[in-house]
Amino acid sequence: MAEWYLNEGKDNDVVLSTKACIVRNIKGYNFMPRLDDKDCQSLLDTVDGAIDKSVYSGGCAADFDKNTVLKLTRLQILGREANQMSNPDRKAFYYNDDASLSISVGSGEHLTVKAMAQGHDISVYKKAEKEALELEKKLDVAYSENYGFLTSNVRLAGTGLKILYTVALPAISKTEGGIAALTQRVGQYEWMIYPFAESGELADSGVYIIASVNTLGVTEDDVLRRGEMLISDVIKAERACREEIVSSKKEQTSDIYGRSFGTLRYAGLISRSEALQALGWIRLYHDYDDSGEIDLSWNTVDKLTMDILWEPGAPSRKNSQSMNLQRSRAQGIRNILKGDDRL
Amino acid sequence: MRCERCGKELTNRIIKINGITYCENCARMMGYDRFLRDPSDIMGNPFAPLDQIASSLMQMSELDFGNSTLTCPKCGMTLREFENEGRVGCIECYNTFNDNIIREMFKQQGNSEYAGRLPAQSAETDVTTEDVPQIKKSAKTEKAVVETGVQEKAADKKDIGSETENPEEKEPVKGKLSLDQLMKADLGMLSDEELEAGIKVAADAEEYRLASRLRDELKGRKDGGSNG
Repeated sequence: MAEWYLNEGKDNDVVLSTKACIVRNIKGYNFMPRLDDKDCQSLLDTVDGAIDKSVYSGGCAADFDKNTVLKLTRLQILGREANQMSNPDRKAFYYNDDASLSISVGSGEHLTVKAMAQGHDISVYKKAEKEALELEKKLDVAYSENYGFLTSNVRLAGTGLKILYTVALPAISKTEGGIAALTQRVGQYEWMIYPFAESGELADSGVYIIASVNTLGVTEDDVLRRGEMLISDVIKAERACREEIVSSKKEQTSDIYGRSFGTLRYAGLISRSEALQALGWIRLYHDYDDSGEIDLSWNTVDKLTMDILWEPGAPSRKNSQSMNLQRSRAQGIRNILKGDDRL
Repeated sequence: MRCERCGKELTNRIIKINGITYCENCARMMGYDRFLRDPSDIMGNPFAPLDQIASSLMQMSELDFGNSTLTCPKCGMTLREFENEGRVGCIECYNTFNDNIIREMFKQQGNSEYAGRLPAQSAETDVTTEDVPQIKKSAKTEKAVVETGVQEKAADKKDIGSETENPEEKEPVKGKLSLDQLMKADLGMLSDEELEAGIKVAADAEEYRLASRLRDELKGRKDGGSNG
C-alpha cells in the first residue's frame, strides 16, 4: 500500500498534512519520567499484548535497524529530533500498512495514538479515536472526573488531544506583516502557530504548524470545529495572498518560478534552505503557470517538500550543509522530478 | 495573556508576583495590595522607612521558596521539580500538587474544567472536511484578503469567522454578535451591550456553557473587576 503522504489530499496546495494525536497513560505505572526500567519493560509488554498485530507492524525501538529508523522518520512516525531514539529499549512504535496510523509507547506519555493524512482531512480524528477507544477498552487508562485523561505533561491533561495542520504559506510569509496578522488570528481561535523548525535550524521554509492548544474546558467536537474554521481561513488567506502577489508582479514571479524549477531539476548540490525556498516559489506560482512548459503535480510538490522537511538529521545545520548530503538531496529531488522515488 | 488565578483575559493592568501573573482584582484578593502601589511610593521617597522596604523583600523571599519542599508520597517528585519540568511523575502527583497544577493549566487554557469524552466512549462529533473554494485567477483578491484578515492587521476582533453565506451574519446588528462570533470572541473585548445580547443568543442556541461564560464576564464587570 502507498505510504500515507503519497496520497492526494484536499487543499494540498496549502495543507501538507492533518494529524490527530491522542495521548493516554495507564494506571498502575508511574508516568515516563518516574518509571523505572523494570516497570517500563512491564508497560511495553502490557501494551504489546493489547495491540492488534494483524493491523500493526513494529515493536520495541531497540530492535529497529538504521534503515527502519530512517524510514519511520520519513513517514513522520518518529520525530526528527536526535533524542527521539534515545533510550530505545524504553520505547516502542507500531504502525499500520500505509503508516497513517501509529501508536508510540514511552515517547513523553505511555501511549500516543497518531493518525495522519495528506492535505486537509479532519477524518484523522475519528481514525485516531477509534484506535484510542480500542486501547481504552483493553487497558485501564488514567482518568479523573476533574481533569479527564491524566498525563505527565499537565498541559495535555483533559482530552489529551492535539490536532495539527502542517501548512505551506509562501505567500503569507512574503507579505509584509502577514505572519504577524495570522498569528493574531490563530490566537483568537485559542490555537497556536509556529514555524516548522527544530532548535538551531533556520525557520525559513515558509512551512508552519497550526496546532490546537486547549485540552480542558472544551469538548473534542469544539476543538475540531474551531480547527476547521481556522484552517479554512488560513487556506483562503494564503490563496488570496498568492493571487495578490502574482497579479501585482506576474513577470517577476513567473521568472522566479522557472528559475526555481531549473534549480531543483538540474542542481548537483543543493542545501535544504535553497530547496525549500525554491519549492515555496513553485507553490506560490504553480496554479498561475500557463506556459505549459513545466509539468509538475501538487502531489510531487508536496512529496518533495515533505521529503526535505523530514530529512533525518535535518536539525543539525552542520550536517545538512555537508557536500555529501547536498549531493544526495539534489539527486533525490532530480529523481522525484523525473518520476522516480528516492527511497 | 490571562490571569493565572481566575483565568480572565488581562486587558488592563498586569501584576506579576513571583513569576505568576495576576489581574488587579485577584492581586488584591490574594492580599498583594502592597505590590499594586507605584514603586516610587516607596523607593522615590527619601524618607521611606527602611524597615518597610526590608519587610517587602522578606515577604517576597518567603513567597519564592514557600512550599518548594512539597513531595509526592508515591513517586517522590518535588514541587520544585514539577515547576521546572512542567511534568508530573504519577497520578498521585495530581492530588499532591493540585493547586500548582491548576495554576499551570490556567496559564495555557484559562479553564480547568474537563469537558471531553469518557474513557471508551466515542466523542459526539460530525465535523467533516468541507471544500474550501479555490480563488479564481481573476477573482477580486482584495475582498478575499480582507475577509480572511491576513492583510488587515488591525482587523476588528469581532469580525473573526465572518466567512458565512448569510449576509445578516456577515454584518451583525450593532451590539449583537452571531453564535460563531461569540464562540471565538475574546470576551474581554466585548461591550456590556454585546455581552447581554450574547447571553440571549447563546441561550436560544442551547449553548449554556457559552451563556454562563458571558454571564460571568458581565457579572465580573458589574462587581468591579477591571480586567474582565
